Amino acid sequence: MELTKHQVQLLTGGIFDEFPRESDWDAIVIGAGPNGLMTAAYLAKAGVKVAVIERRYEIGGGLVTEEILFPCYYSNAHVIYHLMVDYMPVLKDFNLDNHGMAWVKPNLQTAMVFEDGGSLLLTRMVEDTRDSIMKYSVKDAIAFGKLMRTWRKIVDEIIAPATYIPAMSPMDMAVAMERTAVGREMMELMEKSPLEIITDIFENDRVRALMLYVSCMWGLDPRETGIGFFVPLLLHRGMNKCYCYGGSHKFAGALAREIVAAGGTILDTCEVTKVIMDNGRAAGVETKEGRTLRSKVVISSLDPHTTFLDLVGSENLPGTLKESVEGWSYDKWSFYTLHVASKEPPQYKCQEPWANESFMTIFGIESTDQLLAHWDNVVSGKIGDNFGGHSTCESFFDPHLVHAPWGGHVSFFQMHAPYEIPGGWEKRSPELQEAVLDKWQKAAPNFTRDKIIDTNAETPEDIEIRLPNMRRGSIKHGDYKPTQLGYFRPNTDCSSTKTPIEGLYVCGASTYPGGLVLGGPGYLAANKVAEDLGVKKWWKPTPEMERFTKTYLE
Amino acid sequence: MGEAERYDIVIIGAGHNGTTAAAYLAKCGLSVCVLEERPECGGAQENAEPIAGVHISPHAVALYGGAAPGWEQLELWRYGSRMDWAAQRLSGEGFASGTLLGLLCTDGVSYASAKDFDGWLKLSGMLGNPPFIKELLRATFWSPPHPPEVEVNAETIPFMQVYKERMPEVWTEELLEWDMFDLMDEYMETEPFKIYQAYIAWMSGAAGHFEGMAIPALESVVAATLYTTGTVPMGAIHGFYHTLFRCAVAHGAIFRTCCPVDEIIIRHGRAVGVRLRDNATWGNKVIWADKAVLSATDIKQTFNKLIGPQYVDPSVRKRVDDLSLKGGTLYVNAFLTREPLRYRAKFKEAEQTGVCYPMDSREIYYEHVADCMGVQGNPTMPPERYPWLWAGSSRIFTPEYHSQCTRPGMSIESSIVCYVPPPEYHVDGPDAINKDKNKMDAYMRQAFSTVVEGLEEPNLVHHWGLTPQEQEFRNTGMLGGTWYGVRQCRDQWWNERPLPEMARYRVPGIDGLYLCHQSSAHPGGLCLMAIGYNLMHILIEDGIAEPGDWWYASPWYIPEKGKISAVPREGKIPV
Repeated sequence: MELTKHQVQLLTGGIFDEFPRESDWDAIVIGAGPNGLMTAAYLAKAGVKVAVIERRYEIGGGLVTEEILFPCYYSNAHVIYHLMVDYMPVLKDFNLDNHGMAWVKPNLQTAMVFEDGGSLLLTRMVEDTRDSIMKYSVKDAIAFGKLMRTWRKIVDEIIAPATYIPAMSPMDMAVAMERTAVGREMMELMEKSPLEIITDIFENDRVRALMLYVSCMWGLDPRETGIGFFVPLLLHRGMNKCYCYGGSHKFAGALAREIVAAGGTILDTCEVTKVIMDNGRAAGVETKEGRTLRSKVVISSLDPHTTFLDLVGSENLPGTLKESVEGWSYDKWSFYTLHVASKEPPQYKCQEPWANESFMTIFGIESTDQLLAHWDNVVSGKIGDNFGGHSTCESFFDPHLVHAPWGGHVSFFQMHAPYEIPGGWEKRSPELQEAVLDKWQKAAPNFTRDKIIDTNAETPEDIEIRLPNMRRGSIKHGDYKPTQLGYFRPNTDCSSTKTPIEGLYVCGASTYPGGLVLGGPGYLAANKVAEDLGVKKWWKPTPEMERFTKTYLE
Repeated sequence: MGEAERYDIVIIGAGHNGTTAAAYLAKCGLSVCVLEERPECGGAQENAEPIAGVHISPHAVALYGGAAPGWEQLELWRYGSRMDWAAQRLSGEGFASGTLLGLLCTDGVSYASAKDFDGWLKLSGMLGNPPFIKELLRATFWSPPHPPEVEVNAETIPFMQVYKERMPEVWTEELLEWDMFDLMDEYMETEPFKIYQAYIAWMSGAAGHFEGMAIPALESVVAATLYTTGTVPMGAIHGFYHTLFRCAVAHGAIFRTCCPVDEIIIRHGRAVGVRLRDNATWGNKVIWADKAVLSATDIKQTFNKLIGPQYVDPSVRKRVDDLSLKGGTLYVNAFLTREPLRYRAKFKEAEQTGVCYPMDSREIYYEHVADCMGVQGNPTMPPERYPWLWAGSSRIFTPEYHSQCTRPGMSIESSIVCYVPPPEYHVDGPDAINKDKNKMDAYMRQAFSTVVEGLEEPNLVHHWGLTPQEQEFRNTGMLGGTWYGVRQCRDQWWNERPLPEMARYRVPGIDGLYLCHQSSAHPGGLCLMAIGYNLMHILIEDGIAEPGDWWYASPWYIPEKGKISAVPREGKIPV
């Protein structure tokens, strides 16, 4: 039978309008991770016509709360510990706390449990930590109290507000910090390695191990100098981690709704294949499915390799930029995470009854030497029997993660791991899973195999498959080392978020001040782009940022 | 946290229907708050990435709602709506060029005849001049049930009106009596083709064997196989949800996840708001609704949990309890394999078009109905005869830009589904299938292995089986694990869905409360944007919604006496 043209059309698509093949925008943001979403939200609310383009089927980047223990169990597959909730301007600027978002900040932040039933607690309230340290060393407990007097100021007055202020050159920074005693103290720390700082302050080995773990767990080399200011930051923030009630993805969802409510557009399952260059200027993007979106500016939240080499193309890069992008190094270690759905939460073998309520529990680490040996192993591409790591029972804090007829709990164990491992991850992951479950059961005797309902092991390769910009499983899009931090992140040309390519900006974790959902790069890019587009900013710096500017910059 | 919130409209449940209604009402300028229990909105329009790089569709897969007014009225293209037409092009062009559909039967591939296609195209409206396929679909799904004063008969039912006007030779009063087999026996000839249509109809809600449901059953299949031919939205079905959701948000609707509702607050016979459960991320606050509360969660929960017992007549409560959940409960399977699954040699020629097995005869079809709906236990049929449908990831997603598996060296098929009894009716108790999950998984693999190869280790990396009870618990609106709400039989469809006095989405005795869920409203499931559209007529009648120029009413809509007409031309004065 012969069908008419109209009939054939009815049968072959095009029966309603779709998003246009070609469109024009003021700004395109590539990547809907926390930073991309923040930049877009600020700009959209300022009246900029914004489109956010996301490769994945769901926005959020590392802010993932998904049913990875399928079916019925949700887990925070990537970010769970939110370190900067107390400072991030975006939360107050968009009044997100009033948008059905609740941050849970348990007093008991971290418990380190030992084989002999001993434990060390790191708490939001200083005295509780000191009580715990006192079991091992009164001297260390006293030192910890005194230490926090100044370290709290280093964080509150300098590092936290500076996170949302453009990067300063090392020279300018040194001059600025000279102005106050707190600033001078921070500069002194800068010169030391984390290991030196912690060994100098604490005498007890277990206390040292805890402090070192918490300071370096996000990828600091314990023996590297020039990064010492991270120790007060990560220790202080390690005492003030927040859980996003309902899962980390709620944060991303709230930002995305702000974008859309302000007239912005989000395209997901949409991969950018090319930044369109027009006379040396970034002028839009092309997508894998063949759509063209032209724009005045393009803001990339991706890693330097993808942004500059894959999307812009090395032929379009000025000499020094190409060199520095090619020299970019990814995180020295990644993570191996075992997500578990279980009938009961793990109950740690521990004299301290409170320890089981801890937000984060470190086990498997008995001494500083063992911790250092484990890290040395990881950096050299190995995982030995001496591994340890941290775990959280997420459902203890969040009932919304469990949707099973028979209830249950969701937990994970996470450890540092190399991207490449002898034998390959596909083979090693099941073996390591058994080793982790053995070690977990040793620390929490009730956590036997018959209590386990389901597991999902995520290797460094899995991180990269799920979130390809975390190349080599780099959760921060690039290593934290002196030449890739501050003014040098990702390089001196781009750390202001504006790149040497007209119209192209960067706003991801590889840009100053870095990853870990600080909210810095996204905020700074929004400011820069708004200034360059001549758009009136509807937001103001926080009082802490203003105080910092007045004290150190004016 | 504690203080109350106030909106014009509060919607319970951010699934497909709650969100469609939110988009329509927000576009009318009303303040709307949608409360969702789960961490992610979307209800059954969901996708998951349970292993990095592997995407599965736990529920809905393909688009049925191509004919929806919502595409135009809500302008979804503005919010990023994009489709992957790969399957439609493949199949539509094949259809247009006369390439025949391969049907999987126990002794190999069978084909439909020219008479089958002719009858099929005729009944679908495709052969009208001009074709009236869209009109027929809209008459079936996108038209609110008539008011109680209008007699429901062969002259007034919208799809009957369309046949009478556009193709009078098809119109006969018997269309309202027939099941789909009767209709097909009249217009088609090949048995496997008929079984295929009946089975797809069952998989789409109204089964081929439901009395008096011939046309709605046929139209469900037309919506899926002719009008969109298994089209998937970019980002799979959840991608479609995103555009709806963003449309609602862009018009000002407020969405709150992890906010389960504890009760619908009723004062002086009127729904005035809801109270959140104490574990809600928004706190257990009260959300007042100045104009209406829409229950977009299932009808049993609505009446048994959310509305206090003092507000509902015991006889009504009993009839709600009695609503049948049978007929739409699926066991869902997804397979991660190293080599892609392949059809065995015997079935190879139907690799692109054969999706259901075995399509031999009514004997097997009814054996399955009897096993599943009659005996109501775990399957007793030999697995090699057990019917299934494969909505294959490999066929309907364009691999170049829409691959569902980015994990190197692996391949995903999601989902392959089979009917099983709903948990509440299972003779061995609601958790019987869960208890036997390993056995059920093995049985499913055996059933599919009759046709496909590659389901054995080491090629099989992971098998996700999803039982009905798991579906219900992980997605609470999926009452009894049913995909289409309550059974789409004649006693629970159109002017009788869910109960005759509630067919126009209102709840007698409780003003300001409207039903907006596939289990409680015509036309039920399939993510059609239909309940939201149909409900709009009623909310306009009640003076709650006042849409702008973008609105048009269903041409078959009849205003209720004494209410404001939803037809813009007739003005907004009560009749």
